[in-house]
Amino acid sequence: MPGVEMPAPSDPADALAAVAALRRLADRIEDAAVEQAMRSGWSWPQVAEALGVTRQAVHKKHVKRLIAAGVALRRR
Amino acid sequence: MATFGHYLQKIINHGRDEAQQDGSAAVEAQHLLLAIAIEQEATTHQVLTSAGLDHQAIRDALDREFEHSLGAVGASATAFDLPMPTSAPERPQHLGASARLAIERGFTSAARKKDLQPVNLLIGILQAEVGTVPRALALAGVERAGLAERARQALAGTGE
Repeated sequence: MPGVEMPAPSDPADALAAVAALRRLADRIEDAAVEQAMRSGWSWPQVAEALGVTRQAVHKKHVKRLIAAGVALRRR
Repeated sequence: MATFGHYLQKIINHGRDEAQQDGSAAVEAQHLLLAIAIEQEATTHQVLTSAGLDHQAIRDALDREFEHSLGAVGASATAFDLPMPTSAPERPQHLGASARLAIERGFTSAARKKDLQPVNLLIGILQAEVGTVPRALALAGVERAGLAERARQALAGTGE
């Protein structure tokens, strides 16, 4: 529901499930966004800085998937 | 036990496919449940279908749980306009905490190791009172505790 303000869930079960779901969503968006950035010619250090993580971390997490996806990667 | 070990390996193997399709870095309890539904071993199949659960119904329930849980904090998985990421080239090897708990509970649901049946794994998954699987089942209108009980009865009915 975009644009609709929702209160934080008061039931801890809902709140904890929301955390788990948000982590999953964040991972999915990260995969999609990193792939899109690298396809657009971003470098590893740029992606890492934008995510606020080290370039080693972002490289380790995504390189195999992006190579398998046939993305032309710039040098680290 | 040898048969159960073989079954468990098969389910974990299918579970890796499910986890990969899900974009998950680990095999979780829900992936084992989906794998059990695909495998259609006689007793587990009977228990799951008694609640109207097949692979698609479980997948739908899990999707609903995801959107529902995100919705509680005003987020939506469909609100982002990015192309779907390419899947990981390798299936995840790691068993997540929920899958390990389900397997452990499955093992302890049998009196003796040699009594273990495929349905023990389903019982182990259904024993979780919190987490993704019980929430998804609740959203699908499935009474989890009752289903777990039916699974135990089915186990007793196998006469082992």
